[in-house]
Amino acid sequence: MQLEKILTAGIGELDLCDIAVYREQGGYAQFERAVKELQPAAIVDIAAKSGLRGRGGAGFPTGRKWQFLPNNGRPRYMVCNCDEAEPGTFKDRMLLEYTPHQIIEGILIGTYAIGSRHAYMYIRGEFKRGYETFMKALEQARAADYVGERLFGSDYSVELTVHRGAGAYICGEETALLNSLEGKRGEPRLKPPFPAIKGLYGEPTVVNNVETLGYLPHILRRGPEWFAGVGTPKSTGYKIVSMSGHVQKPGNYEIPLGLPMRTLVYDIAGGLPPGRKFMGIQPGGGSSACLFEEHLDLGYDYEALAGAGSMLGSGAAVVFDDTTDFVKAAHSLVRFFAHESCGQCTPCREGGNWLEMTLERMLHGRGVESDVDMLVDVSHSMTGINLCPLGDSIEPFLASVVKRFPEQFYAYVRTPQTAVAV
Amino acid sequence: MSDVRAADYVGFETGTDDAAERERFAAIVEHLRPECERVIAQYEDARSALLPILHLFQNEQGWVSPAALRACAQLIDVPLSVVESTASFYTLFFRRPVGRYMLQPCRGVACIIRGAEEQMAHFRERLGIGHLETTDDGLFSYEEVECLAACDRAPCMQVNLEFVYDLTNESIDAMLGEMRAGTCAIARRTQTSPPRRTWIIQQDSGKKSAGAQDVLSPDDPGGIGDRSGKDMLRRIERDPELLLARPTRERLVRDGVAILDGEAEKH
Repeated sequence: MQLEKILTAGIGELDLCDIAVYREQGGYAQFERAVKELQPAAIVDIAAKSGLRGRGGAGFPTGRKWQFLPNNGRPRYMVCNCDEAEPGTFKDRMLLEYTPHQIIEGILIGTYAIGSRHAYMYIRGEFKRGYETFMKALEQARAADYVGERLFGSDYSVELTVHRGAGAYICGEETALLNSLEGKRGEPRLKPPFPAIKGLYGEPTVVNNVETLGYLPHILRRGPEWFAGVGTPKSTGYKIVSMSGHVQKPGNYEIPLGLPMRTLVYDIAGGLPPGRKFMGIQPGGGSSACLFEEHLDLGYDYEALAGAGSMLGSGAAVVFDDTTDFVKAAHSLVRFFAHESCGQCTPCREGGNWLEMTLERMLHGRGVESDVDMLVDVSHSMTGINLCPLGDSIEPFLASVVKRFPEQFYAYVRTPQTAVAV
Repeated sequence: MSDVRAADYVGFETGTDDAAERERFAAIVEHLRPECERVIAQYEDARSALLPILHLFQNEQGWVSPAALRACAQLIDVPLSVVESTASFYTLFFRRPVGRYMLQPCRGVACIIRGAEEQMAHFRERLGIGHLETTDDGLFSYEEVECLAACDRAPCMQVNLEFVYDLTNESIDAMLGEMRAGTCAIARRTQTSPPRRTWIIQQDSGKKSAGAQDVLSPDDPGGIGDRSGKDMLRRIERDPELLLARPTRERLVRDGVAILDGEAEKH
C-alpha cells in the first residue's frame, strides 16, 4: 500500500540534517512567510481550521489550546515536548535524529503564532544522539538567521533554548516537564491552573509535542482545508504510528487517520510472522487498553479507538501473537508505571508497587487465586484519584488482558504441587 | 550507608579530606565555569540551568559527586538541599561512580515480548552482576531500563547512551569481548574514581513505596533465573561486604539457603 509521506518525507533518502538540503525541499519558507505576511492570530485560525490535534498522547485540539492563552500582556512561552518515553513509541526520536530542521521550523511557527519570543525544546535525556543532531541543526538555523533578533527585517525576535532531561518518563506530562525545565523535581502540578494560564515561571505557556509542531509548516503550505480533508471529520490529517511487537516489518509509518487497523497490521506492517495467530494489539502506547481480533476493522483514529475502550494515545501500536505471555507483558507495563511514578500521590506510588510485586509473585509461581481479582481491583481503585494520568495508566491494559485471557493469569497461581519452588 | 554519605561531604571522591583532591576539583570547576555561565544565561531563572550543569559535571567526572552538587548549588545560588532533591529524582544522574561502560538493556513491553529476558539473563551470567551493579574491575555497570524508544529493533539497549539494536546472545558476547579488548567503537565513560558495588543510594533512588523497599524478588535473590539463590551466594562469597551494606539482602540470602537446604516448606 502506497502512503503519502508528509513529516517522514525524505527520511532515509536525503540528509535532512543539512540545512541546505532542507531548504531545497522548501524548508523554512513557511516560517519566513508567516513572519512576513501573516498575523499570529491568522496562524492560530489556520491551526484551528485544520483540526490538528496534539500528537503526544492526549489529542487535544492544538488551535484551541493556543486560544486559551489570556491576553494579559505577560510574556508567553512555547515549549516543545520531546520527552518521548511511552512504551512502544519511537516516532519523536526518529524526527529528532532525521529531520531536526522540520522540528525547528514547526517550533518557530508555533512560537510566532502564540506571540511568544522564547521557545524551549525539552529533549529526553537518553536521546544523546538526537540532542547532538538537534544542537547542530540549531546552530545552522541560527547562522542562517532563522533564530535570533529582528528576523527577515521585521521586529520579530525569537530565542530557542534546548533543555536536556535526565531520565524520567513523568517529565512528558506537561506540568512535570515545566517543573523539570525550572530545575525542579519532575513532579506534576495540581491543575487548574493549566499551563496556558500559569505555566513556565508562572507565565502563560503552551506545551506541544514534536510531531504536532512538525505538521505546522505543511499545514501552512498546503492550507488547513487540505489537512482537514484527510482522515475523519474529528480526527483529521496524518499520524505517525510506531509499529512494533510481533509484526514482520516494525517501524514508523505515517498514515491518514481512520485507516482500518487490519490494514495497518497486515498490509503496512507486513502482518504477523508466518504461522502465528493474532491475539491482541495495544494501539496507543503503554497506557492504552489492549484490543483484539474483533476490533481490527475499526479505524485507527481518536474516536473509534476511544469508542472501543482504548485510545490512540501517542500512536504506538504493539502487536501480540499467540506466543505472548500476557502476564509477562502486563508485568513489564506495570513495572514501568511503578518505576516511573514520581511518588507524589499515594494511590499511584503504593498501588503501582504492590501490583508489580503481586505480578512478580505470580511469575514465580507463588501467587494465590485471589491475586487475579486483586490485580483488577487495585488497578481500578487507583484510577482517577491522582494529580496526573500516570496512576490511571495501569488499569486499561492490565484489566483488558486479565478479562480476555484469565486462564493465562490463573496458570501462574500457586497450586499445592508447586509450593516448593526449587 | 549513612556513614558513607557523611564521609562523602568531606572529600569529593574517596571520602577523605585530601588537599590534592580539593585542588583537582577546584580545577574542574574553573574549567567548567565559562560553559556553566553560558548555559545559565540562556534561562530567565538560573535554577532552570540545574539539569544542564549537572550534565556538564557528570560528563567531566563520570558521575555527580557531592562536591559537584555543592558546586552546582553555588553556581545557581540555591541551597544544597535543593540540588540534592532534584538530582536524586533523575535516574541518569549517577551519584556514585559507575563503570566504563553503562550497559542498559531495555525491559519495555515491546522488548520483553520479543524475548529480551533471555538477553538480560545472559548479561547477568556473563558479567556476574545483577541489576544496578558494577563489576569488580570497574569496567561494566548494568541496569535494566524502561522503554528506550527503539521498539522496531527489539530487543535493544543503550551503551553509554548509544543505541545497540537487535540483541542476541552472540552479539552480546561479541560486544563484551570488544569492550574488554578496548576495540569497541563506543567511547568509554570518564572514570575519575573507582566504582563501588552499586551507584544507587537507597534513601533516595530506591523504591518510592515505603512498603516495597528491597523485597522486590525474594524468590530470585541474585536476579532472573536465580531461584535457588546460588548466584547470590556466589556473589556473597566473593564480597561478604554485601551482607553488611544491604541488610535486607541478608534476608533474601537466608531464604536462598533455606531453599537450597530443602527447607522451604518451613518458611
